[in-house]
Amino acid sequence: MSIILQWVSFWLSLLVLPLLLLGVIRKLKARLQNRIGAPITQPFLNFFKLMNKTETISETSSWLFRTTSVINLASVLLVAFLAPWLSYQPAIPGDDLFLVIYLLALVRFFTILSSLDTASPFGTFSSAREATLSLLVEPAMVLSLIALALSQHSTSLSKIFAFLPEISLASLPLWLLAGAGLFISSLCELSRMPIDDPTTHLELTMVHEAMIIENSGKNLALTELSYALRMAVLFGLCAQCFLHALCCIWHPNVLQQSLLSVVFLFLVGFATALVEATAVKLPWRTAPNFIAYGLTMSLLAAFVAIAQGSLK
Amino acid sequence: MSITLAGMIAITAAVTAILMVGSRQLSMNLVLYSVQTLLVAGLTIVIGIQHQESNLFLIALAVASIKAIGIPRAFLWIVKAIQVRSDPGTILPAPLAMHFGIVLMGASSLLTSGLPVPQGTAKISLEATAALSLLLTGILLMLTRRVALSQILGFLTIENGIYLFALTQTSGMPLIVEMGILLDVLVAVMIAGLLLFRIKSSFEHIDVTQLTGLKD
Repeated sequence: MSIILQWVSFWLSLLVLPLLLLGVIRKLKARLQNRIGAPITQPFLNFFKLMNKTETISETSSWLFRTTSVINLASVLLVAFLAPWLSYQPAIPGDDLFLVIYLLALVRFFTILSSLDTASPFGTFSSAREATLSLLVEPAMVLSLIALALSQHSTSLSKIFAFLPEISLASLPLWLLAGAGLFISSLCELSRMPIDDPTTHLELTMVHEAMIIENSGKNLALTELSYALRMAVLFGLCAQCFLHALCCIWHPNVLQQSLLSVVFLFLVGFATALVEATAVKLPWRTAPNFIAYGLTMSLLAAFVAIAQGSLK
Repeated sequence: MSITLAGMIAITAAVTAILMVGSRQLSMNLVLYSVQTLLVAGLTIVIGIQHQESNLFLIALAVASIKAIGIPRAFLWIVKAIQVRSDPGTILPAPLAMHFGIVLMGASSLLTSGLPVPQGTAKISLEATAALSLLLTGILLMLTRRVALSQILGFLTIENGIYLFALTQTSGMPLIVEMGILLDVLVAVMIAGLLLFRIKSSFEHIDVTQLTGLKD
């Protein structure tokens, strides 16, 4: 009975949460900047509007351009099933952390390919930027998850993020540091504010938006959906880290955990909106300095994990 | 050995020192230094409660008022007065220096595990790791910085490390010795602050890498 309930609630969350999170972040950002902002349901409306529009495709682009959005959505869906971004998610065998990381890298690879395929000048320079960023962000993201894997002696994500009853105060710094490292690197991975402005359309500053500038209609709808899903998964993993940090102090029951994981997901979204409303976009040359803080947090988490292992 | 509250506070102080290496804004560095010293003062209180020594509370009060509030405020005033906001840094860029600081933290953890300890105490002490890490991070800060003010901050971080080591590894320092050290630090910082003004007024900059030749 409980496994059916898990699947039903997971499917419902998978359908609703990603686009809702996107809408909530946009709304919060607007409110923090003293604007009224679009309604929270705007991403859903946009999705259906784009699905009904006709598509414009450049004559020079190949089959790759249209296939990319489908491949991306499929890989992100697989990641969403594998990575435990909600505490009530049913476990699936084969949820290795390296598989998840490199499925996300595959998404980026195909996005870069399709933006090069359109032969638009924006696509070329933005894909070069995206490739540079991925080079900088990947160590931080992998290391923060490896630090957690070290402490649990397993690379299976469902084992890393399992709620152990004997979790104690000693693992609080590890979860906090890993969560902070993951949050900073997901801000870059998702091309959010300090690295890339998701709302700008000034071609010299944008990274992610310039890569999908040629997409339209259904293609754009699927791209936006996979972006929202990717954001929900990555922010969900951060939220799980912070939820585990809370569990070091207070032990909630299963129902409370499920509710808290959704609440924490939106809290991470609120933190993102706060960063976006207050921070300015960094110049391209100082972006590595920001990402270095993510790597610092991950390195510290790894240090704590190793030190705890040797103290036992 | 489990992770204690004192160990966690000490490690947090060491982490703020590493973040100091990563930030090139002088005012940010001063705030981080203030937080670091407040943590050290808090640690003094925790150890004072554990060992039931009331003179440690007095030392904590002196450390917090002089080193955590007095010195950073004076330096903030100097930063405003001499109009130098950030540190261009030397060869090693700030983010890389920060990562190197974490490597040094790991190295100090290895070093302290080989340290001879008195009978009956725990094998590896997180406090000793943090103290040694503070010391090495202070040296790193002095090596990777160009502006004279950062050199003083590096020196103060080293001093924090030595203080932390003495506090956690010995059974307790006499009040009079600690007060003497605090007075020395205060005088050294005042003289260094005065020197900063003199260097700025006679050379128009406080860049220590350019202070190698003699001037007639």
